[in-house]
Amino acid sequence: MSKARAVLSRIKSVESTRQITKTMEMVATAKIKRAQSRIEAARPYAIKMVDVLNSVAQHVGAGSHPLLEVHEETKNVVIIPVTSNRGLCGAFNMNILRRAEAIYREETAQGREVSFVAVGRKGAGYLRFAGYNIIAAHTEFTDRPTFIEATAVADQVVEMYEEGSIDKVYIVFNHFKSALEQKPTTHQLLPIKQEEISGGEAETGGTSVEHEFEPDAVRVLYDLLPRYVNTVVLRALMESAASEHAARRIAMKNATDSATEMIENLTRWYNRARQAQITQEIAEIVGGANALQEA
Amino acid sequence: MADRKLLCEVVSPENIVYSGEADMVVALGIEGELGIMPQHIPIVTPLALGELRIFNGGQREFVAVLGGYLEFRENKLTILADAAELSHEIDIARAEAKRLAREQEIAEAKASGKMLLEAEVSLRKALVRLRVAQKG
Repeated sequence: MSKARAVLSRIKSVESTRQITKTMEMVATAKIKRAQSRIEAARPYAIKMVDVLNSVAQHVGAGSHPLLEVHEETKNVVIIPVTSNRGLCGAFNMNILRRAEAIYREETAQGREVSFVAVGRKGAGYLRFAGYNIIAAHTEFTDRPTFIEATAVADQVVEMYEEGSIDKVYIVFNHFKSALEQKPTTHQLLPIKQEEISGGEAETGGTSVEHEFEPDAVRVLYDLLPRYVNTVVLRALMESAASEHAARRIAMKNATDSATEMIENLTRWYNRARQAQITQEIAEIVGGANALQEA
Repeated sequence: MADRKLLCEVVSPENIVYSGEADMVVALGIEGELGIMPQHIPIVTPLALGELRIFNGGQREFVAVLGGYLEFRENKLTILADAAELSHEIDIARAEAKRLAREQEIAEAKASGKMLLEAEVSLRKALVRLRVAQKG
């Protein structure tokens, strides 16, 4: 009955796999909460930022900064797909990369040059393998994105945009809607859309006040806009981190469930085989005894 | 009564560092120090690396602000800091270690005739944090 023994060891192996996936599921569950509260903690800053920008933009007038300016001709596009560094999180990364590729096709169809700034090891690996043009790859991020990390990503594209070597930047990330739903989202990072920084008053509840600016409004705007881009990137990174944990939790839950099912089936098979063996042995003994009696 | 004090909030991209009432707040703007008292005219200004002093009654609170923005309006002061730490939350040992490391880095760079802007900024940050930490 070597087959039964093989099944027995298989059951053991699946059991230990299940233990791992179950642990990962619990770890992810705990991390979702923390990642979510980080998003919450970052919100006041982002809201205030838009508030101040609003006031400054009203003062200086629109289109008075290189990052607000729409380039006359759009020739070079950069896509920033935000992926994870680790796998085992279901379709999390593929959703992002597929979305990024869709934009890539759309933009190249219009005769534009598209390149990538990869965030996350998974995305970088995939894009490199597929042979896309990669400007930079940021793979040293933790699952607790900081402002400094966001700045590293943003600074580069901001600089290139100001130089005029790129004309449009998209960031693609998993938007954390809830622990059960993450939505791949595309956001135009540059040029900054006018409506993003003006007309947000209903949301913030503030009335527009005439501020005094020190040293002057233009200087303040110049300082503020790149920072705004940083916060948008930071938000994307945070959303992505929370989504990653949520996706991993679901993936690990599914893995745990199917492991449980597999163990059940294998155990059933094993018991049946064991029963069959016993039955056969009894039949053999009875058969042997009968033969002896008859003799 | 409501106008005798102002509301002060220090927020960084990662969290809310401080939130409370104050009689006066002194910040280091890029044009120099400025003190904000209740009923100040609405103002927006970038901040330099420096300390923020919050006076409330007899109490004083020091915050290390590593660059950012100040906005005041409707008796509410908001500091949008790139990074900020309350004086009693600063890890002195870490800041000190950073200061030494940067000083060494800069000394080496100077010896080889290189300019190290980033290291210098980093050193200044460490110095600000140390100064603020010692006050708290």
